[in-house]
Amino acid sequence: MTDTLSYPDVVNLAVPLFIAAILAEILWIHLKGRGGRYETRDALTSLIMGAGSVVSGILLGFIAWGFFMTLWAITPLDLGTSWPVVILCFVLDDLRYYWVHRFGHRIRWVWASHVNHHSSQHYNLTTALRQTWTDTFAFVMVVRAPLILLGFHPALVLFCGGLNLIYQFWIHTEAIGKLPRWFEAVMNTPSHHRVHHGRNPRYLDANYAGVFIVWDKMFGTFVPEQEAEKVDYGLVHNLGTFNPLRVAFHEWVGIWRDMTQPGISWRDRLMYAVAPPGWSHDGSRDTSETIKAKHLANHPEDRGTPGFS
Amino acid sequence: MPLHILGPLVVIGIAGIVVLVHLLRLSAPSRFDTEETARRAWLREFPGTAVRKVRLSQAGDAALVETESGAGLVWAFGADTVARPLAGAKADAGPRGLTLRLPDYTAPRIHLPMPPEEAARWRARIEETR
Repeated sequence: MTDTLSYPDVVNLAVPLFIAAILAEILWIHLKGRGGRYETRDALTSLIMGAGSVVSGILLGFIAWGFFMTLWAITPLDLGTSWPVVILCFVLDDLRYYWVHRFGHRIRWVWASHVNHHSSQHYNLTTALRQTWTDTFAFVMVVRAPLILLGFHPALVLFCGGLNLIYQFWIHTEAIGKLPRWFEAVMNTPSHHRVHHGRNPRYLDANYAGVFIVWDKMFGTFVPEQEAEKVDYGLVHNLGTFNPLRVAFHEWVGIWRDMTQPGISWRDRLMYAVAPPGWSHDGSRDTSETIKAKHLANHPEDRGTPGFS
Repeated sequence: MPLHILGPLVVIGIAGIVVLVHLLRLSAPSRFDTEETARRAWLREFPGTAVRKVRLSQAGDAALVETESGAGLVWAFGADTVARPLAGAKADAGPRGLTLRLPDYTAPRIHLPMPPEEAARWRARIEETR
């Protein structure tokens, strides 16, 4: 069994590409007068979140790595590193990403880590870099366990995860409209991912894909971008701060405050951590389900249309 | 990539992007042109509320919103807007404007630059309506 295997840290290697692409997008928008929006403090916050995410990975990455290497020591399987295995790993890791991402929107504990990625009201290439600092605490590394137990080396799995992240960078843009039909049918695209960042009731909890949009089509979460309904980016209740620390930790603080409030049961305390975002013990808040239901009550004509079926 | 290259690259990259965006005049805050614009901004975040009255600040950077469930504030936030109910808010009117402190980790302090007389008026209205 291979213990010492290394792949390049592709995300760090892609940093110059990220910077160049952001500069190109800014200039494109400026020259063409369309294709997205930028705002100084929003962009700065997103970029600081991206840098902080790299720092967090350097400081805390050993926890996930230790977990993966423990699994690698346990498993009797070793699929090796041939090209077919690398491709299979990439596809299965993308399936893994779909489910982690879906959990990230449906389990508040995981949402607390992921929410900052959705906290900008803008949608441009800097938004792609608005990444979590706290995914180690969300324990989502366990979703990678099956891949490693199946015999994919941890270094290969992380390499594929890095490629996945790089793919997702370029889809965070309004500068690209719809791509050829065959590509939109199979791959995640700017159009599909704009929907994912929408706070419109129609677009909530849709398009979790990383690279291949087929997962959403398979698991019933696909919603195509509607020409008649422009995507409104951000959170249901947008943040009133650009402070990166508040952006990174606000949902964790919210969970703490909700779980420690007096006069609720232990079950309610647990639910504040694991129920979908917006759940409350007294029903005073809205989840994506109640938001959609309220929308349909006011707009019954939307029933059965994409996002409301 | 070695840290001694990655670190400066990230710092210079962030600084370059932010300076470029600022030089392209993309730092200007949004403004509410009319009370209707402010009302729409409020309803964007709280679509179910019945809005009774909207009072726009003289500078157009914020609006007090009276709803059936109390007062709220909608204000310019970068190129966009944010809205919050004002339950539990503490308002301080001073020579530089109105400062609101909310029991909200995501919007703990909102400072609205405005003339002292307007700040005092807003403070009184917030005390009345919340």
